Amino acid sequence: MTSVPVNRTPAPPAPGPAASPVPGTPRAPGTAPGTVPAPAGPEPSPVAPVSSVSPSSPAPRGRAGPPSRLRSVPGRVLAIAGGSVLALALLFGALSASFQDVNDGLKIIGHDAGPQVVATADLYFALSDMDTQVANVLLIGDEHGLGKGRQRALELYERRRSDAGRAVLQASALAGTDPAERRTVQAVLDGLGRYERLAARALLMDEQAGHPAGPPPQRVLEVYREATDLMRLELLPMAYNLTLESGTIVRRAHEERTAALRTGQVLVAAAGILALGGLVWLQVFLARRFRRVLNPALLVATAIAGMYALTGFTVLGGETDVLRQAKQEGFDSVLALARARAVGNSMHGDQSRYLLDPERADTYEQTYLDKSQSVLYAPSGNLGAYYRAVDEGVDAYPAATTRFLGLIGREAARSGPSGRQEAIIDVLRRYREFQRSDVLMRRASPREAVEQLVGPLTTRFEAYDAALVKLAGIHRATFDRAVRDGEERVDELWFLLPVAMVSTAVLIVAGVWPRLSEYR
Amino acid sequence: MRPVSVRAALAAAAGLVVLLAGACGTGRPESILDRETLVIGVKPDQPGLGMKVGEGRYEGFDVDVAGEVARRIGARGVRFVTVLSSNRQRFIEEGKVDLVVATYSITPPNRSKVTFAGPYYVAHQDTLVRAEDEDVDNVRDLKGRRLCQAAGSNSWRRVKEERQIAVRLVAAASYSECLDKLRDRTVDAVSTDDLILAGFSARAGSAFRIVNAPFTDERLGIGMRKGDLDGCEAVNRALTAMYQDGTAERLLKKWFGASGLDLTFSVPQFEGCA
Repeated sequence: MTSVPVNRTPAPPAPGPAASPVPGTPRAPGTAPGTVPAPAGPEPSPVAPVSSVSPSSPAPRGRAGPPSRLRSVPGRVLAIAGGSVLALALLFGALSASFQDVNDGLKIIGHDAGPQVVATADLYFALSDMDTQVANVLLIGDEHGLGKGRQRALELYERRRSDAGRAVLQASALAGTDPAERRTVQAVLDGLGRYERLAARALLMDEQAGHPAGPPPQRVLEVYREATDLMRLELLPMAYNLTLESGTIVRRAHEERTAALRTGQVLVAAAGILALGGLVWLQVFLARRFRRVLNPALLVATAIAGMYALTGFTVLGGETDVLRQAKQEGFDSVLALARARAVGNSMHGDQSRYLLDPERADTYEQTYLDKSQSVLYAPSGNLGAYYRAVDEGVDAYPAATTRFLGLIGREAARSGPSGRQEAIIDVLRRYREFQRSDVLMRRASPREAVEQLVGPLTTRFEAYDAALVKLAGIHRATFDRAVRDGEERVDELWFLLPVAMVSTAVLIVAGVWPRLSEYR
Repeated sequence: MRPVSVRAALAAAAGLVVLLAGACGTGRPESILDRETLVIGVKPDQPGLGMKVGEGRYEGFDVDVAGEVARRIGARGVRFVTVLSSNRQRFIEEGKVDLVVATYSITPPNRSKVTFAGPYYVAHQDTLVRAEDEDVDNVRDLKGRRLCQAAGSNSWRRVKEERQIAVRLVAAASYSECLDKLRDRTVDAVSTDDLILAGFSARAGSAFRIVNAPFTDERLGIGMRKGDLDGCEAVNRALTAMYQDGTAERLLKKWFGASGLDLTFSVPQFEGCA
């Protein structure tokens, strides 16, 4: 990196001396003892720099051209120093702008959209589970002790209800000023109120009807249908789309910031080369003109600028990686798993609804299969074939060459460190167990099916869900760590930025000033 | 000295420009958002959804949705072309069409080849019977009845194979022939996507009845070139806005309101752009 500018920029001065031995030599005596006799210095033109004809008598060399202060030695020193300072300003400006880009990017990914994914996914989960628990209560009917019991389902319903309320508030706060998002959050809030009223009515009517475990009387069912349609067709899609919207925001922020960072890197490199070149040129020029080997102040300024440019360039490159890691290995997986969890919960709800509403059983069976396919896709036209395909696919994982599709499938198809690999295997095995319970539930007699559902099937679903949460936690940690690392690194450099700016400026002045004052 | 330094400065500046241009030029791949005129593929033969009515002229729900979306993502013009189920994926891959709005179901295998925005509507498989046939409330009531089997469609499998319902299949060349057969009583029922049924029955007046017992979810998506995430997200935002401002409801009622089908007017759950 640095070797390039050094080779390139000294080039201009090289021909310089060839052309200027004439002016150079005569002045030499005056300048040589430069340390002491600053004022006494160059006899010919004391205050000259402004006056065109230049301090040094020989200056013109033919060209009658425009009177140029650049021809004078101090003029040149000033010009080169000024150019270097300008390039340095560009360098520091580019670095500062890029750091700002990184910080903005990390803020959007790490502190706005990231938490919003979690908040909206929580919202979906709470809403979906509310509907599932209502279905479970209705299914259990009079037999309060069945499976995990009616009381537990009711308690869960209450808990999800308050979770949903909290999540909707949080989503609203995070939605910020985007009008479409705000409308969506408002619609969810309104819908939630309507849903609660319908659910409360269904629960009350069910209690009054008093029926054995299994489908409730028709009039209860009709109220529940109204409730579940509201939930599944209106509220859940809106909550899900909010989650997706956060994904969109993160993707765009990531793309924009990455592009800005690349541009910033190029700018930093170019400005760095220019600045270093200028400083080296200044050094060479001063050495030749003033018969000095080195100008220590300039040397230090060059070193600081060089180190800072190089570090800045490297860090910016590193930040591109940080952003990529935070997004691809952290955020994308967190988002995919949040969606998998959302779909999984509503598919578990379809199991309850399948038993609850015989008239719509076919629909719920089909949507169960559709949702299963979107979680873990295995080519199959019906549930029977799907169970078999899942069994075989999970058995063969991770050795097999078959590539899964679907939300979890794509996560499984990605390679990763061994901790994550184990967590994925755990998720897949528990998912298979859960699907095996589904077979048992659908084959059982109506009454046994309810027992199966509110007992072992729910246990297995919860185990699967917990494994999913654990896997998401691993990604979440990667994500948080990447965001934190990125911020820390930028903060350090940013802290040093003013120091570097001030010190290089002071050093350049300190290096150039005594030489210029020789001409006073 | 001076000319050299000017040259050097020029060279450095030129180098900088080249570097910057390189950095900016690596931007995003081609997107539907960059098109002045969008070429949109629609079906030519599905009443109510996509129907060719003249040279380059189409009408139906899909066509209206496509036009709305194109306008909302900022396209200046739209040109509609015919796509069929058999060639729509290829047309997208070859760039012959920018968007496909043609009762295109979002499924995991389709998604691995095409990027889908939407769904813009979740259709359901449902059953159409003659209006006077009041004994059919559910797909299971088709047991022992004659079900139309349209060539090239798999909808009958969902009844006979997946649901294991003992229907008698009667072959027909197309859904419009199925409708003729239903009218002249050579079949008792036609079962496929409810929007397709609604399109046919809206044309036929009150002679037919949709059972309103849906038993599948068909997520109808808007297909585009794989990887055009900017375009896909813009289409999703357009769809959200269409549902929020009531445009979607108006269009659904315009094309299917007369059919007696239960319609959903709230925004569907999107699949997410990938």
